[in-house]
Amino acid sequence: MMIKSRVSRAQIMGLLLPGMIVFGLFTVYPILRLFWMSLCDMSFSSMLTQPFAGLMNYREVFGDATFWTVFVNSIVYTLITVPGQMVLGLFIAILLNGIRRFSVTFRVINYLPVVTSWVIASLVFRYIFNTEGLLNYFLWKILGLTSSNIRWLDTRWSGLAVAMILGIWKGIGWNMVIFLAALQQVPQDLYEAAEIDGCGAWKKFVSVTLPAIRGTILFALIELTIGGFNVFTSIKMITGGRPAHQTDTLLTWMYYKAFSTGKFGYAAALSFVMALSLGLLAIVQFRMMRNRDA
Amino acid sequence: MNSRHAARIRWAVIRYLLLAAGTVIFTLPMIYMISTSLRPNGALYEYPPRFFPRWEALTLENYDYILHQSKFYLNFLNSVTVSVTTIALAALVGSAMAFVLGKFQSKLTRVLFVFIIITMIIPGTTMIVPQFELATRLGMVNRLWGLIPFYVAWVIPFSTFMIKGFMENIPGEIMEAAWIDGADVWTVYRKIAMPLSSPAIASVSIFNFLTAWEEYPWANTVINDNAKRTLPIAIAGFFGQHQFTQWGYVFAMSVLTLIPVVVIFILCQKFFVQGLTAGGVKG
Repeated sequence: MMIKSRVSRAQIMGLLLPGMIVFGLFTVYPILRLFWMSLCDMSFSSMLTQPFAGLMNYREVFGDATFWTVFVNSIVYTLITVPGQMVLGLFIAILLNGIRRFSVTFRVINYLPVVTSWVIASLVFRYIFNTEGLLNYFLWKILGLTSSNIRWLDTRWSGLAVAMILGIWKGIGWNMVIFLAALQQVPQDLYEAAEIDGCGAWKKFVSVTLPAIRGTILFALIELTIGGFNVFTSIKMITGGRPAHQTDTLLTWMYYKAFSTGKFGYAAALSFVMALSLGLLAIVQFRMMRNRDA
Repeated sequence: MNSRHAARIRWAVIRYLLLAAGTVIFTLPMIYMISTSLRPNGALYEYPPRFFPRWEALTLENYDYILHQSKFYLNFLNSVTVSVTTIALAALVGSAMAFVLGKFQSKLTRVLFVFIIITMIIPGTTMIVPQFELATRLGMVNRLWGLIPFYVAWVIPFSTFMIKGFMENIPGEIMEAAWIDGADVWTVYRKIAMPLSSPAIASVSIFNFLTAWEEYPWANTVINDNAKRTLPIAIAGFFGQHQFTQWGYVFAMSVLTLIPVVVIFILCQKFFVQGLTAGGVKG
């Protein structure tokens, strides 16, 4: 063991303290505060007076038709973008894993969308999908697939689709990098054994590759699910929730309620429900993958 | 043997073709952004739209306009100040926490680590309302430095988590030798733990830089003054300012904002991959 006399508890605490203060004040306190605010009748204009209101905010959230619209939007966004990014990212990782030349070049280029900021990427997509934009021109005048300009950003599902395409485009690179690293750690003799057993490429993928990278799949699944529900900037920039909150997601709707209508209590209740359900979901995902291990 | 060789070559060709096709899709939006920034701003929604501008219409007038606005330099400086301060503080605070959590196990450190993991699960923006209230109480609203503590708090869980994994691998013998030599905790942290885990600190810092450089929701909520805006807010503001968006200006400014990021990314891509995979592969 270590020589105890030199290891001063005061110095250990001294190293911990700055982090604990920042983390406690700016992260842990707001989480606790969020729960309390969700139980109060609280608005932007009356930040100091906060009468206790019980579950009023929660009743208001769940009794609100718009909440259910944006709830479905967030679920659909996550259900499409998470598998979309993972499948395409894994596919590209598999392609890259088999080549030597230009591997780094491809990796760098494919990762560029990840480092592009959300504000900028969203504006580029908005410009491309504009009614008089490049995509419509291409579909109508060049390919002749459509007979007029489609108003992509003006209806619920097409507007959301643009945000989802952006989400997938921007996320593939991250998946590619972590899956590539996982693929490189799969023991080569497993593949050789499978080959001797007469397994084809697909069989090898299903019975060797997928089980071997299960840990990485779980990690990506949890991270991307959180990211999917965290979608905010792209919706705000691309559709702004139009038409009439039809393309809002949980967070953009929460933000609108808080900072445009001043309903802090409502926003807090909505946020708290989100934080709680995501925490539970992460635990469930974790358990599911662990159980299959046994 | 020969047919097997042929099959291998065929597969390699297919791989390269698919990768090349993917690369085109990945880069198209960015190329279109650059090409739009290089055409006259008057050609608002020029019709028919062109992917590449006409050669004789190529112009740097959008860049000229942006670079002649003092506001741009102010926004740029704001972004640099906030990002650099954030990564410096996060590296210090995060590595100190990681050192203690990784090397001095106790009930307190275990509880603290669980807390850190939990906060990594909660999407940051869900806390924006209580954080706004807190910022108002502390007088941090509409102040550039007011952004920094929130950014540091944001990136600490991830930073601590990553650096802790690295600190744990520092051999116990090195530390024991230091204790025997009479070093105290503080010295061991500064002289041994920090230098030995510098690769982890570097890769975490790159991610923290990106986070702070591109952060939009929080800065957009608490900063009102033009002069205190960071780049993402300035770009978004440009976009909403007029009835008709001046896309040439928007994209010229976007390109200028992306240059530092792309340069850092290409120079440090080794650290990027290290940082990304450390969490994912071990699962």
